[in-house]
Amino acid sequence: MLKGYANRILEVDLASRTFAFRPLDEETARLYLGGKGYGTRLLYDLTPPGIDPLGPENPLIFATGPLNGSLAPQSNRFAVVCKSPLTGGIGSSACGGSFAFGMKKAGLDVLVLLNQSATPLRLEIDGDRDTVAFLDATDLWGLGTGATQKALGKGKYLAVIGPAGENLVRYAGIVSQERIAGRTGVGAVMGSKRLKAISVAGTRKLEFEDEEKFKAYTTWLRKYFKGHPVLGEKLRRLGTMGIVSATNARNIIPTRNFKYGHHPEAMDLSGEYLEDHGLVGVRSSCMHCPVTCGREVEVEGRGRVKGPEYETVALLGTNLEITDLKRVSAWNNLADDLGMDTISLGATLGFAMELQEQGLLDTGLAFGEPGNISAMIEAIAHRRGVGDELAEGVKRMSEKFGGKDYAMHVKGLELSGYDPRGSYAQGVEYATTNRGGCHVQGASMYLESTGPLTINPQSLRLKAELPVVQQNLACAINSMVLCIFTTYGIIPGMVHRLDPKSRLYRVIVAVFEHSGPMYRWLMKLRGFPLLWFEQWLTHITGRTFTSGHLQEIGERIFNLERMYNLREGLTGQDDTLPPRILHESTFQHLQSGHPLDQLLPHYYKIRGWDARGVPLPRTLARLKVRV
Amino acid sequence: MTITVELTYELAKLLGVRRLELEGAATVGEALRLTRDRFADHQEAFDRHMRATALVVNGVLSNHRSHLATRLRDGDRVGLLKAAAGG
Repeated sequence: MLKGYANRILEVDLASRTFAFRPLDEETARLYLGGKGYGTRLLYDLTPPGIDPLGPENPLIFATGPLNGSLAPQSNRFAVVCKSPLTGGIGSSACGGSFAFGMKKAGLDVLVLLNQSATPLRLEIDGDRDTVAFLDATDLWGLGTGATQKALGKGKYLAVIGPAGENLVRYAGIVSQERIAGRTGVGAVMGSKRLKAISVAGTRKLEFEDEEKFKAYTTWLRKYFKGHPVLGEKLRRLGTMGIVSATNARNIIPTRNFKYGHHPEAMDLSGEYLEDHGLVGVRSSCMHCPVTCGREVEVEGRGRVKGPEYETVALLGTNLEITDLKRVSAWNNLADDLGMDTISLGATLGFAMELQEQGLLDTGLAFGEPGNISAMIEAIAHRRGVGDELAEGVKRMSEKFGGKDYAMHVKGLELSGYDPRGSYAQGVEYATTNRGGCHVQGASMYLESTGPLTINPQSLRLKAELPVVQQNLACAINSMVLCIFTTYGIIPGMVHRLDPKSRLYRVIVAVFEHSGPMYRWLMKLRGFPLLWFEQWLTHITGRTFTSGHLQEIGERIFNLERMYNLREGLTGQDDTLPPRILHESTFQHLQSGHPLDQLLPHYYKIRGWDARGVPLPRTLARLKVRV
Repeated sequence: MTITVELTYELAKLLGVRRLELEGAATVGEALRLTRDRFADHQEAFDRHMRATALVVNGVLSNHRSHLATRLRDGDRVGLLKAAAGG
């Protein structure tokens, strides 16, 4: 029995309405931790190549990790894994809310949903009685995610979909409380199974290797987080929208479908503006998290609701050339309630606006014109009129209507809110990340564009190394399952207080920039736990974790995801960026485009892949990746 | 030659404008000095604010060029950057 785990998996067949509890595979848990790592291993093993993502063969896997249920800050997240209906490759998304905690209370590490129900269905899983109730959900079908959760009662640990998931919008998400597993269309897969909601319940307790040490360390760490300039001050005070001024100054906030990286009135979408203009209600947070980066805002007709995150104000705001925070907040609330990813939604609306400008598709949408957007969001969720086309996402629209040069996606997943022309490592990360164009699978931009200690974002130094280390770390974090924000605390407060104009600061940055192989070597060191994720894992599981262990586990997961994508027909050709990013400049005095072609061969080499981007047999053997 | 200095939210509030159009700033250092001059009534607040603030030219830290001696061109955009994190 592994400590930190519930040590069991629940498999539910939605067609035959049967279920079975199975033991967690200890070897897989040792190799892949849990969360998206364990989920990806299961997906690879359970499915043959070439399945239809929206067909019955695609399993939907909810997976927790050893830190979930422990009360560690930022540990309330679960991973969802399946074949993505948006990319055709690995689909994975992580979510806050309460569901992960509920799964562990129910004694579940992993929940595997197989096949499809013929009629709308909801599940009630009781982990104490070891029962699964298959209940008719016809009365809930068509309801928003808020109304669905309200109808099922407060205090339950729920995961639900909205109309977007029911109608197979390819970027629909799964919602728990006010948080969403937004990316890669996992909500559409749940909709294809006609599964409206899952509730989990139980009173089981997590077994720790050393609970006292864990608690003492966590108490100390909470204080550290609260005193940290980013986690305890900036994110706490301004939320994720506090980054708007930085991305705008850096020329990387997507503007007008990524044509530019700067909007003159972006300040109207900033955390400071939100704080100043009475839109703020109370701070909100995920369970057990001291950071409280969430915000509540007043939305007309809806009252106080969850406010938008940075990604939403970037993609539904500057990207559409709209800086009216009240409207963006209302669209955010609408999209959450309909159950869809605001990143893909904003990128799709921006693309539709450019198609309209070019005369390629009549959408009734225009940059800077907010009038038709609410109606279009509804039309997308219900696949009405031209909304049916937008529900397919940018890649499919560009294949049907044209505009591939400005179709802002990688592998079919729409780009998030950091323009890689001003953040080269982030560009390499977008191009190579297995789930497609996403920022939270490494967050390299923090170390090259927005954080307190940034390397030159537009030189080639460290731009292949950084994504490798960051992607590996993110894979491990998404398998514990923790919030990626926890990594923002790695740079200590004293560095934040350094004047970026000082000589000392410039020397430190220069050393970092030139560290190259040394940086990767340092991250691979083993000896004793250094950072909090390693300490927590060690205190919970009894196994010693270090940065080196996490790099190895993360690298293993990343390579397995890669092998899954290759098996499903993606190739090195898909490790690219939109032509607009590669060839156009965002500003008159900036060099043109992203130098991906100069960085990708080095990235492949570091990864232990061949020139076509295929992992070498010795790489897979070293990492014990079985394919 | 005209360059634009984009102010941070806090500095914009102090001055009541979001950006300054500056004539005759040939380097980042001169742009910083001319910007400081505009805060004649708020020098202490300006200096305190600028302590942990980086200077960015068209998105790139001046540190990565010639710092305060970085030459500016007509139409350049100088930003003031405070570290932040989002997601």
